Amino acid sequence: MGRTIVVTAGKGGVGKTTVTANVGAMLAKLGKSTVVMDMDIGLRNLDVVMGLENRVVYNIMDVIENHCKIQQALVRDKHLENLFLLPASQIHNKEDVDIDKVVDIVNSLEGNFDYVLLDSPAGIEKGFESSVSPAKEALIVVTPDVSSVRDADRVVGIIESKGIFSISLVINRYDLNLVNKNKMLNFESIIDILGIDAIGVIPEDKSVIETTNRGEILVNYMPGSPAAKEFSLIARRIEGETIPIKIEEPRNFFGQIFKRGVQ
Amino acid sequence: MNIFRKNDPASRVAEERLKLILIQDRLLLSPQDFESLKKDILKVLSKYFDIEEASIKINLERTKEKSVFEAIVPVVSVKKGK
Repeated sequence: MGRTIVVTAGKGGVGKTTVTANVGAMLAKLGKSTVVMDMDIGLRNLDVVMGLENRVVYNIMDVIENHCKIQQALVRDKHLENLFLLPASQIHNKEDVDIDKVVDIVNSLEGNFDYVLLDSPAGIEKGFESSVSPAKEALIVVTPDVSSVRDADRVVGIIESKGIFSISLVINRYDLNLVNKNKMLNFESIIDILGIDAIGVIPEDKSVIETTNRGEILVNYMPGSPAAKEFSLIARRIEGETIPIKIEEPRNFFGQIFKRGVQ
Repeated sequence: MNIFRKNDPASRVAEERLKLILIQDRLLLSPQDFESLKKDILKVLSKYFDIEEASIKINLERTKEKSVFEAIVPVVSVKKGK
């Protein structure tokens, strides 16, 4: 049986879709067959972040409404043969989704894949519920700012009330320079305030924008970039490895690039 | 309340603000209710002690099983005649 993990957040724009695509790709690279599901019905994005928008034929609503089989709706990744996307529908509303049917789809995927990652929509409305209901584990994406942490706390409360108790934080867009100048919340205090452990702290990394624009997943296109390295560690931690969180000094990183460029 | 001093680092201000916001969110307390809760705590304690009102700290820690409400109130002295 596969594991189903919902990637969620209270606030929009914190990087749920980027985290879903990259963690999914890293799990696939570790040899695990993985499906990433876009649950943002009406505002689909995961296909674009993975650069698969031209290959989408069917979507999750077609499966729910029996227009096609699950296998027909799955889109294989361009580079990783054991990574698949189940796209959202662009023409439906979140209210159109039958939660029981989503649970059925996920149960059936769990029988055939090692991991099912659900990319949840922002907010705590209907779409959020249908992405949380099938999951037994949750990753909560949070950026180091007051509103994101506050909204994450709300989401933790709601998720716990739905019976998911395996919850980890993914702290995204962490800027060590700002943290060192005491201008940004450090990750230890975010963990402390929310009372939830972090499974990864992803550094602010401009490569994310570049690779997303190209329609490539960061861990595929720039596996050596700081954020990609942390995504790789997150996948290994999900797989059960114990790897302590360590924040790399950005200066070292630029030093390394420079050295590599010269050689 | 004067905890957000101008020369405090932004990260500390963020932390203090978040702690207060989350207490109110988690206990479903309005800022007004929260202030009157604090006043009530102070009123009871000042019956028995002289306390430093300015440096009172309130915190709500959440674990999986329960929430723990914590108030740290520095005591200057025990009231005489007790």
